[in-house]
Amino acid sequence: MTGAGYAVIVVLALLLFGGGLLLGRRTARPLRTSDVGTPVEHATFETLHTASLAAPPLRAGLTEDSARRSARRLRSLLGTEALCLTDRDGVLVWDGEGDHHGRHVMEQVAGVLETGRDTAFRSDCDDLDCPLKWAVAVPLTVDHRVLGTLVAYAPRESAVLARAAGEVARWVCVQLELAELDRSRTQLIEAEIRALRAQISPHFIFNSLAAIASFVRTDPEQARELLLEFADFTRYSFRSHGDFTTLADELHSIDQYLALVRARFGERLSVTLQVAPEVLPVALPFLCLQPLVENAVKHGLEGAVTSSRITISALDAGSEAEVVIEDDGTGMDPQRLRHILRGEGGRSTGIGLLNVDERLRQVYGDEYGLVIETGIGAGMRITVRLPKYRAGVHGS
Amino acid sequence: MSRTYAVTAVAVVVLATVLVGGFGLRISRTTSDFYVASRTVRPRLNAAAISGEYLSAASFLGIAGLVLVHGPDMLWYPVGYTAGYLVLLVFVAAPLRRSGAYTLPDFAEGRLESRQVRRLVSVLVVGAGWLYLVPQLQGAGLTLKILTGAPGWLGDVLVASVVVLAVAAGGMRSITFVQVFQYWLKLTALLVPAIFLVLAWQGDGSPRITFDEHLSAFRADHPLYATYGLIIATFLGTMGLPHVVVRFYTSPNGRDARRTTVAVLALIGVFYLLPPVYGALGRLYAPELIHGGDADAAVLLLPGRVIGGLGGDLLGALVAGGAFAAFLSTASGLTMAVAGVITQDVLPSRGVRHFRLATVLAISVPLAGSLMVSRVPVADSVGMAFAVSASSFCPLLVLGIWWRRLTPPGAVAGLLLGGGSALLSVAITVSGAVRPPGWPHALLAWPAVWSVPVGFLAMILVSLATQSRIPPGTNAAMTRFHLPEALTTGRHR
Amino acid sequence: MRPLPRYRTQSEIDEQTALGGAYVRSLMRGQLRAGLTAFAVLAAVVGTLPLVFEALHSSAVVWAVLGFAAYPPLTLLAWWYVRRAERNERDFARLVEGRPAP
Repeated sequence: MTGAGYAVIVVLALLLFGGGLLLGRRTARPLRTSDVGTPVEHATFETLHTASLAAPPLRAGLTEDSARRSARRLRSLLGTEALCLTDRDGVLVWDGEGDHHGRHVMEQVAGVLETGRDTAFRSDCDDLDCPLKWAVAVPLTVDHRVLGTLVAYAPRESAVLARAAGEVARWVCVQLELAELDRSRTQLIEAEIRALRAQISPHFIFNSLAAIASFVRTDPEQARELLLEFADFTRYSFRSHGDFTTLADELHSIDQYLALVRARFGERLSVTLQVAPEVLPVALPFLCLQPLVENAVKHGLEGAVTSSRITISALDAGSEAEVVIEDDGTGMDPQRLRHILRGEGGRSTGIGLLNVDERLRQVYGDEYGLVIETGIGAGMRITVRLPKYRAGVHGS
Repeated sequence: MSRTYAVTAVAVVVLATVLVGGFGLRISRTTSDFYVASRTVRPRLNAAAISGEYLSAASFLGIAGLVLVHGPDMLWYPVGYTAGYLVLLVFVAAPLRRSGAYTLPDFAEGRLESRQVRRLVSVLVVGAGWLYLVPQLQGAGLTLKILTGAPGWLGDVLVASVVVLAVAAGGMRSITFVQVFQYWLKLTALLVPAIFLVLAWQGDGSPRITFDEHLSAFRADHPLYATYGLIIATFLGTMGLPHVVVRFYTSPNGRDARRTTVAVLALIGVFYLLPPVYGALGRLYAPELIHGGDADAAVLLLPGRVIGGLGGDLLGALVAGGAFAAFLSTASGLTMAVAGVITQDVLPSRGVRHFRLATVLAISVPLAGSLMVSRVPVADSVGMAFAVSASSFCPLLVLGIWWRRLTPPGAVAGLLLGGGSALLSVAITVSGAVRPPGWPHALLAWPAVWSVPVGFLAMILVSLATQSRIPPGTNAAMTRFHLPEALTTGRHR
Repeated sequence: MRPLPRYRTQSEIDEQTALGGAYVRSLMRGQLRAGLTAFAVLAAVVGTLPLVFEALHSSAVVWAVLGFAAYPPLTLLAWWYVRRAERNERDFARLVEGRPAP
């Protein structure tokens, strides 16, 4: 055979192989029966559509209003004669015929509310024409708590309805859980803001504004600057994102705080700063130094002290930064301090200290708690050690 | 040469270092100056600090010595030391800063979320740091011997003790200003005598400097291979040196880290114009050093030889002071970095006392090494530290920053095979088990040519084989590394 | 019905959605290209220099190139890269924030 002959055979073989491959791929894919959908598919779409219409009201939680708005959709999902939604205390809505049954519902579902298990019961009715002979009651649970029940009525016993009611109830539960989640998220944000507000004392806000007000007439330029500092400071303190900040930002906020405090106390308060530029990029928990400075200011100016000196230093110590906040004020009984740091101090002055100590230990480990040296009349010296890097701690 | 001047100069440098370090920060400020006090380190200042820390004994003494003995081919060393920063700039600088890591183990842990990788990197960092410290101490010993005739070990011990005292006593608190001071001191200490030396040379009628083909036994065979080994090691090794990585943390953000690196390139580029001058003139005025061994002494001896008299003594003292600044700054920077890693990853519990203990540990091992191991030319032994860094940390950093599919097992394999093999060949070379002529010695003395590809390949192949182990936080880490500051800080201001 | 929240690109990136990932990857590609370009120029020049020196066999050339001429191009290359990288980041920030080009 000639070379051309071989070539023809090879080409033919390749074509055959390629064609076979193509054919195989085509047949492997299942053929679609209808491009516009089978009756089963249409029913599915209808169900999904009804379900999606019932969902939005339920996202507001289980109330009379939301129950009323979703009950009709739920009933059409189940295809029953009547449907009833209850919470733990009473009937929220009755959809469909035979609403005189509503009077007895709560007695009949008491067991469901207590045990959280599906039950079926015959609905004893004086009216012989009443189509509602039988009912299934399923609990609506969120977080293992029974919030209410869904009761579906039918002319006769039906396993299909029992199963369908269970599935619909489960779907309602998911919506209610989402509602719960929405609520707890809102609560969380509110709690966060409350916690942040708790860190800036209302006294401080009041005093700062009073001090600024006193400058408005005598020195408007100064008043303007202080107001800007105040705005900046509160913006930083109220910021809602991120648990961490950088030492530079935290020290900047402390500087603004001190400017506001000095507007009020003037010469009575003198502050010295030593900051090693190497440690400014260190990341640390948000607002964990400011309460310590506030504490120092409070102690420094407590009682009949005429003037006070506060020293803040941030130094480079190898793989750590060391921040020291020192005042020459009234100090504190070490015994009492120990009580406060153990959380036994009650709602007194030490809340800020305790909070900072807890957060530092939580983020960096127990060996990074506050180190406080103090005595009555001996001032106070608080040392904070911050590792330059800790996995998961990123200042933003 | 008058010993009194030189000893005084060394004492002044040591004292000034301790004073600037200890008291630079004591100048306290009141809050009205807060803006000044809290200002982050600007790129140019940080660049001078990085350069001050980086220009070591190898740069100050070693390059001139090598050029003197082996001719201009040795100028690849300063070019490599400089170009290493270009590679660092284009692949590593900004993302490394944005990662928030202080040391390489921090980076490894943050990127790969694995304590094991962290521990392995720590071991390698300590190893590379020690390798780099040995020549610093040996250079100090040599300098003191030439200046005062003191026994060779005294200088090693002196620098080690000064570093321990300064670091452990917390005297290096304003390290940035110390290092900036050291950079300008080193530049002045080489520049001023160099001007006088060149003038004196012209006064002699500018005799021609010849470089006959004289190659030492150390690199006699396969010079081309040795050159490529040197280029690869220095170009890729700079990014992993522990004291270089630590200084990038001082930059306030990734953008500044980049600008800092450009400034570093310019600053050390200017400095490296000078050592070759000493090498060339040494060829002319101190020819006995070519065969005598201590070629690293050329920089120290030239001012006395060429100029003589009081002027020569003073210039010699200036050079001696600069040399000591070189040992002190690099040694203290390295010791700090190594001690930081030892406190975090080796010693069980943390605290200030442990950092002091770690400092002693960090420098006593290389001190013992420098006293026991025979003297390899300073620049050569520094080259070995670069080779280890290039074959372990370079793959880790480059792949860690740019490749999402890196896995912890891949990183371990690359570090062990690349870094481990480089470390092993360096150890064999230093121990003298394989003697010069022949390929075995060349391959072991310049391992970077083969160990860098080994490191990269091992990391890539093992990662590809273990794709199920990709750390879950990879995307978050990548976003953090590369997202510009304009987007991360701008939105909450 | 509640209106859908408008997802901004910034939060896509923060929450590391697939869309955010695509944005970050495109930034990385741009930066890597800039870095590789600079590195390729460096490698091409430096990789051939030893061979050129070997061929010329002139210590004066080696001296001039490595002793003096090498440093300015290195710094210039670095400067070019920084400008390119910063421009990439500016363009990216503009893209994310949906600002038009100036």
